[in-house]
Amino acid sequence: MSELPANGPFPSVPRRALLRAAGVAIALPFLEAEGNCLGRLGEASTSAKRLLLISNNLGVIPTSFFPSETGPAYTLSPYLEQLGDYRDQFTVFSGLSHLSCAGGHSTENCFLTGAKHPTSSGFRNTISLDQYASRYLGPSTRYRNLNLGINIDKANRSLSWTQDGTLLPVEDSPSRLFRKLFVQGSRQQVAAQLTRLARRGSILDTIGTSARRLQGALGRVDRSRLDQYFSSIRQLEQRLHQAGEWQERPKPTPQQAEPEDISEAARLFDKCQQMLEMAVLALQTDSTRIVTLMIDAFATPAFEISMGEKSTMGYHSLSHHGLRQDYLSQLGKADRRQMQLLSGVLQACAAAPVGEGSLLDATMILYGSNMGDANTHDNSNLPVLLAGGGLRHGSHLVFDSQHNTPLSNLYLTMLQHMGIATERFGPSTGTLDSLR
Amino acid sequence: MTTSLPSGPPLGTRAAELVCRFDRPPTSRTQVALTRVRFCVWCLLGTLGLVASVSHSDADDLTADLTLNLPENVSEILQQRCASCHGGAEPAAGLDLAALPNLLDRPAVRASWVRIHDRVGAGEMPPDGLPMPTSERELLQRYLAPRLRSADAAAIQNEGRGTFRRLTREEFENNLRTLLQLPHLDVRDMLPPDRVKHQCNRVAAALDLSRIQLEAYLDAAEAALRQAVASALTAPPVATRRLRATEMFQDAGTFGGREAMFYAKNSQMLPLTAADLARLRKADDHDPDIELAIFRSASWPYYGYPNGFTAPISGLYRLCFSARSVRQVRDFRLRVGQGTVPLTFRARQASGPDVSGDVRATGGILDITPAVSTFETTVLLKQGETFEYSLLGLPVPRPINPVNAPLYYDFPPMPEDGHAGIAFQWLEIEGPLPPSQWPPPSHRVLFGDLGIRAAQHGSLPIELVAAEPAADAGRLLRRFLARAQRQPLDESEIGLYETLVGDELRAGTPLAEALLAGYAAFLCSPKYLYLHPPRPSAERPLDQHYAVAQRLSHFLGSSPPDAQLLSRAAAGQLLQDDVLTAETERLLALPENRRFVDNFTDYWLGLRHLRRDTVDQRLYPEYRFDDYLIESLGHETRGYFHTLLRENLPVRTLVQSKFVVLNDRLARHYELAPVKGSRMRTVRLPNNSVRGGLLTQGAVLKVTADGRTTSPVHRGVWVIDRLLGTPPPPPPPSVPAVSPDLRGSASLRDQLTAHLADARCAVCHARFDPLGVLLENFDVMGAWRTRYRSLAKGEEVTGIDRAGHAYRYYVSESVDPQAKLLDGTQLRDIRELQRHLANDDRQLARNLLQRWTLYATGIHPRFSERPVVDAMLDASQPERYRTRDLLHALIQSRMFLGTRERR
Repeated sequence: MSELPANGPFPSVPRRALLRAAGVAIALPFLEAEGNCLGRLGEASTSAKRLLLISNNLGVIPTSFFPSETGPAYTLSPYLEQLGDYRDQFTVFSGLSHLSCAGGHSTENCFLTGAKHPTSSGFRNTISLDQYASRYLGPSTRYRNLNLGINIDKANRSLSWTQDGTLLPVEDSPSRLFRKLFVQGSRQQVAAQLTRLARRGSILDTIGTSARRLQGALGRVDRSRLDQYFSSIRQLEQRLHQAGEWQERPKPTPQQAEPEDISEAARLFDKCQQMLEMAVLALQTDSTRIVTLMIDAFATPAFEISMGEKSTMGYHSLSHHGLRQDYLSQLGKADRRQMQLLSGVLQACAAAPVGEGSLLDATMILYGSNMGDANTHDNSNLPVLLAGGGLRHGSHLVFDSQHNTPLSNLYLTMLQHMGIATERFGPSTGTLDSLR
Repeated sequence: MTTSLPSGPPLGTRAAELVCRFDRPPTSRTQVALTRVRFCVWCLLGTLGLVASVSHSDADDLTADLTLNLPENVSEILQQRCASCHGGAEPAAGLDLAALPNLLDRPAVRASWVRIHDRVGAGEMPPDGLPMPTSERELLQRYLAPRLRSADAAAIQNEGRGTFRRLTREEFENNLRTLLQLPHLDVRDMLPPDRVKHQCNRVAAALDLSRIQLEAYLDAAEAALRQAVASALTAPPVATRRLRATEMFQDAGTFGGREAMFYAKNSQMLPLTAADLARLRKADDHDPDIELAIFRSASWPYYGYPNGFTAPISGLYRLCFSARSVRQVRDFRLRVGQGTVPLTFRARQASGPDVSGDVRATGGILDITPAVSTFETTVLLKQGETFEYSLLGLPVPRPINPVNAPLYYDFPPMPEDGHAGIAFQWLEIEGPLPPSQWPPPSHRVLFGDLGIRAAQHGSLPIELVAAEPAADAGRLLRRFLARAQRQPLDESEIGLYETLVGDELRAGTPLAEALLAGYAAFLCSPKYLYLHPPRPSAERPLDQHYAVAQRLSHFLGSSPPDAQLLSRAAAGQLLQDDVLTAETERLLALPENRRFVDNFTDYWLGLRHLRRDTVDQRLYPEYRFDDYLIESLGHETRGYFHTLLRENLPVRTLVQSKFVVLNDRLARHYELAPVKGSRMRTVRLPNNSVRGGLLTQGAVLKVTADGRTTSPVHRGVWVIDRLLGTPPPPPPPSVPAVSPDLRGSASLRDQLTAHLADARCAVCHARFDPLGVLLENFDVMGAWRTRYRSLAKGEEVTGIDRAGHAYRYYVSESVDPQAKLLDGTQLRDIRELQRHLANDDRQLARNLLQRWTLYATGIHPRFSERPVVDAMLDASQPERYRTRDLLHALIQSRMFLGTRERR
């Protein structure tokens, strides 16, 4: 941890944010040193794969984002220059999108699901990448996943959706998130959770007994079918046990003060920074292995583009730039700013050791958008960038811009890289093998 | 939304995917592996299980030895004709005849011998014209068939004909809906989708159970039970709100501008601003003479829902409204409509113009008439949802991207007789509609008449008032189990749940929650989660009757047996022909039978993929945003299948008929005499019509195309697979799929010709390409065409589509549907194809019977059951295989009933 930059994990940050960030910079080594107080911190320093999935629902200006050359020898685009230090640590993709997922802004909830036709009758969202992964990973961490948002319309927007297409609301308060991660719950809360787990355990016992009685009366073929039932019960019991252990295990206790929430939506990037810090902290302490973060640019009013400069209008109006120069220049600055924040995340992750390597090696960091071009409400050719996770990076992977490759193919690749044995995710048609 | 969005993968990908997905009847692992081994092998795989079996004069002989002791003449044939490939160090298809065991009681061994029997019998083996005299073929079959039959029959006798199978997620939801009296319960999507095999989602071997599924079933059961509990001490209050036209729309305008929507008085637009609206809404000063006029469909982006209303809780809401159909002519004036305009409501979040969460059509379709009338319907809303006005078949505004200005949405140019639309006068919302009693019936299923009070502990909204919790728990548990069980439970089984609930109570869990734990456990126990196949049992003879009852109710209604069916089972009457026939007829007439029609056609015909591909809007601008058309196509094909069963029509009706099922939109689509209204009805076809039968229905023609081009390969395969039940084997791995050529169709024909020129391709393609070519007169949506469209060559066609977009496509070469079938028959067009297929009605009937067997029992007809299928076909032949007769025959068969004594 001593490699952490002296000014905190995020460079090029406004002064007031730096002060808050300092808490983290001190807290991280503390966590490392005091490993024993976390219970089995052996797990906290695991190099198990993690996911950090970030989307800005208005995307970026495509011409400044996508490089013009293909392959490993590409020249960094103006936006990607912000990530130049980590060129070998990320891959940028052209020609990916969710096929048949059109409908302008209505696609924002489908970025991690790939559900088709979000505006048509009978539409129902499907399971998102994070939920899919967490279902397989189970309670190996305190939280199966964290779903975060910035400036977000909580009732209507989220990256995280259940199997049955139910919106999972985001956490948009860094201070609440901090308490959730690091402050012990009340005895009653813990007890209530343990009761619930115990009840599920009793139910499993009961149906297990019922199945055993049935087994005696069955023929050979049926008995082998019933084995599936028994092994499902056994696996669920193990998971309940794990989940119960987490309830009783003390949380990590950083000395860092709880962050102070920023209420002004205009301070968009300060808020992003704060939330990203918490996300990195959560991943580093292995409090969770999956974090989603939606930056709701759509709901963001006029905002601070940089120190002392405020946008002349709300983010959404700005995104319909119609090629007007003053719009484009403001958007360009905002887009660059996000790339810098992302660079900060990469830096912090690269500097944080977990297991044998760094948090960056362990974490697949996805940045992208449901909007290929917000100006024209285009949902094809989405800007997508994937960093870290121990994948083979450093290239610009280009797919057909007229007939895009399903973005779900990238998601399937990521799932498999996490060790999840699945052949399909949503409308995937294959994997992107050059990454592995 | 832009015009350049990809509307689906290119045909090439799709065709390759499709062909590789064709499932064949059960194959062993070795057989799957063999497809990779040698090229000559794949083209010989195939029609296993679908070949008419040889004469079954040999009576099943259960006493036969289960060991094959091949007599010399048989083993000589195998040695001479087969062993050179199927032997040695690398036996073809992994089948080494010398090493093949001869003990037929082992399922895998039996399957290998069945495969040998079938391949040789069908002339597929030996391959590539290698010789085998007919006499040898017959000898081999005559020897194998009776032995395989007895071995298979013995296995059925010993182990049953199939395993128990898990309820699909639809069935599970329906079981809970019935049990809990929650007709709108929505837990299906909490469960992972079920695996599909052989175009069926009820294959026992494919319905696995994983940890993730078991957990999801537990979660879904608990969610359903909690939903059944009274949500409060008293019924939620019913509110009635009457909205004037000026309260019926979120905003003063919507996307598409004034032309898309305006307020009007005396049939003239009123230029109300947002400020005007706010003022009169605040003052509650609404002019009853103002109308709200809408001229666009509910597609994104849209604001078309009432101002200030969202459902306070989930439930049914009654909508009553006054409206008329209108036309908008120049200067925003209204004229009386020229006909009806169909309207439905879409439940959705009140999330502004963008859509968030589910979007569900609800309340059915109402045809709004030119005269002002009052309409009423009931919509199902989730908490926090609103409902938008969804005018079907109207334009959607187009996005305009000017340089140096923001994007905006414009309305299409006005047709000569104006834009069709609806003008609303007022709308009344009443709800949530209260249950018939409080606590609601669902609550009483769980807790009987015990009193309720506000909860002090636990996680439910209410608590039960019980003087003797332990005694009440025992009583209520038994009562619940008695309702939930589909066949009587043993005392010892009941004891399990008593223990669970008792332990919870002792641990201090409130009574209601303790009971729910017991209930949830039962709903996920193997007794409830699985359907057990009927088998005769000396000790428990009634078990078979209960299993038949469950199989029947899940087959015909995807739901648990009702009281009458259970009472027939309890009385031991269900194996009697007359009782079974009467019960079948009764279930076919119940509303639940719709689920059979929907679910079966969803998978068999692929109707669940109706919305899979968006039609290419450049080539087919007339279909842009036409959700009404797609919806109508689905109704048509389901309605058609239902008509077949209801009228007990001969099976050839699947491919040929003198009637169609249609509504106003489909009459236009099919260029038939216009009919009025959205209602689906049966209409007689004119002589010489090209319509009639599944192959001329837009739904089938759409799911067999990809939205951009039609592929004769794809459609031809569909015919031999779905309709005739003789799917082709997968293509060899190295063959490239046909890729679409949007500049013209020449290259497609070239490739088809190439298929027939190359013997390796022709061996399969000659079977199906010609069938697909005969369907070339139907475009990607099933409309009739005589020339192909193209984006690059031919005669230019330009115009403005219904959504206002300018289009330009080209009409290129003529469609030539003539084709020569494998047997040399030359057919000229769809009418001749219909006749040709109708003549093959025994195969159509066989396919339907086999698919129903799989759907109803979870497995295909087994080897020893082939004579049963043949006997059913023979029996229904004189009446030309009437469909409901076939259904009855299956239900009366030993495959369905699990009784050997049956035919």
